[in-house]
Amino acid sequence: MTATVAIASETAVATAPAVRLSGVGKTFGHGKAAVTALDGVDLEVAPGEFVCLLGASGCGKTTLLNLVAGLDRPSTGTIELTTGRPAVVFQEPALMPWLTAAGNVELALRLAGASRAVRRARTTELLELVRLGGVGGKRPHELSGGMRQRVALARALASATHGAASSDVRDALILMDEPFSALDAITRDVLQAELGRIWRAIGAAVVFVTHDVREAVRLGQRVVLLSSRPGRVVEEWYVDGVTGLDELALVDRINARLREVISSHATH
Amino acid sequence: MVVDADDTGVGAGLDALDTPQQQQRRSLGARLRSFAARALPPVVALAVGIAIWQVLWAAAIWPEYQLPSPLSVWDHVTEAFGDGSLLGWFWVSVHRAFIGFGISLVVAVPLGLAIANVPVVRRGVGPLVSGLQSLPSVAWVPAAILWFGLTDAAIYFVVLLGAVPSIANGLVSGIDQVPPILPRVGKVLGAGRLANVRHILMPAALPGFLGGLKQGWAFSWRSLMAAELIATSPQLGEGLGQVLHNGMSLSDQSLVFFAILLIFLVGVGIELAVFRPLERAVLRARGLAGLS
Repeated sequence: MTATVAIASETAVATAPAVRLSGVGKTFGHGKAAVTALDGVDLEVAPGEFVCLLGASGCGKTTLLNLVAGLDRPSTGTIELTTGRPAVVFQEPALMPWLTAAGNVELALRLAGASRAVRRARTTELLELVRLGGVGGKRPHELSGGMRQRVALARALASATHGAASSDVRDALILMDEPFSALDAITRDVLQAELGRIWRAIGAAVVFVTHDVREAVRLGQRVVLLSSRPGRVVEEWYVDGVTGLDELALVDRINARLREVISSHATH
Repeated sequence: MVVDADDTGVGAGLDALDTPQQQQRRSLGARLRSFAARALPPVVALAVGIAIWQVLWAAAIWPEYQLPSPLSVWDHVTEAFGDGSLLGWFWVSVHRAFIGFGISLVVAVPLGLAIANVPVVRRGVGPLVSGLQSLPSVAWVPAAILWFGLTDAAIYFVVLLGAVPSIANGLVSGIDQVPPILPRVGKVLGAGRLANVRHILMPAALPGFLGGLKQGWAFSWRSLMAAELIATSPQLGEGLGQVLHNGMSLSDQSLVFFAILLIFLVGVGIELAVFRPLERAVLRARGLAGLS
């Protein structure tokens, strides 16, 4: 793995991508029962870039994320990572119920082999970052859904920075699988703003899977639309810095394209 | 993407509103009342039972060697207390049960882990262990005596065969019930197979494992009593099972009742003193304690 120096640039051009997928395909099962979830996906994510993967149900978004996370192997194609082990935030917080909020964050550092002193300092720091400085001693069942998901984010940040090849946070890659979709509208709104703030603060690359066009445009620098069964890259939009009426128009345009992709399945 | 200044306020407000409310600590009076409400019914039931016993005995329907008086059983209690033999019996049986239970733990934990994590072992040994659980371990007493003679080894062997399957099965079902997302989280956090077992699977399986421990204790205590009752010999030392046996040999029903009472008290006492609080503490820490 090569450590790369991220060059912050508006055009999202960098030396080597944080992750590069070339012709990635994934088929589940064999013979007639085989289902092709992904087919020939090419995608590059630059260091420090925020990419939203958008698609309807069954487009293999989660499968794609699992492949990048190393939880599953692609049937065809290659995945190159220049970062260390990617960190993952799942749809559910998936916190360990027997550990406190701080204990959950610390577990990530412990599994990454950090020393006790480093663990303690880093845990405090990360909980502060997600604005949970005061509740480190609470257990998951004593926290609200939004707070739990923030603990999960802090845990992912811990593993992203300590599992990485270099200690530079900007070389880290964070994968998020619809992390806010199980939350109520107000909490989701607040957490989207929080995520934006945290991403700008740490500068890691993020691949964010969602089925919500508005969320994708609001958070991402780039939105990548996937088709369904099999999942392929259909189209992509650079949405960084798009605001106001332009943002609304873009959301409408992407929505229309998404509907088109979904409608094409009605004939099957 | 612009963070509004009042977003922080909204976030903090949401945290305060959405956080599950913790139950307030109840006052001393309320706790005493709830204790009385729980303790009173069994005490009354016990008193009624003893009263019926006394009436039946007074009616002299059955001879004394079949139904002793409550008072004669109580005499045994005071007498055994007075000359210290009670402590001796207790010590012999309880220390055997603890040693047997301890050895069972050492055997059952690796066995359960292997069954839960290695598919071949699960298919091969799993059904055998489940089957052993439904075989009354007293069935092993004759074989144990033939193998080991009238020794402590024979007794421990029977206790082990009673407790190991329960503990191992409890651990297996505890691990099987761990939500699959948790070991996946362990994997993405970089945990190897062993680290995943140690940091994720074992703690996650703890509630099921504790259930197995509780059952394992009950089984080891039962097996011990069966073994002591059958394998009696002077060099084995006198435990509660032997007291039971002596009562039968002497046609002293009050001694038999007394021994049954002691066996019951130890079995229930250990569960209430050790396993119940342990289980409650573990469940409460995870927000699972439904019972007050």
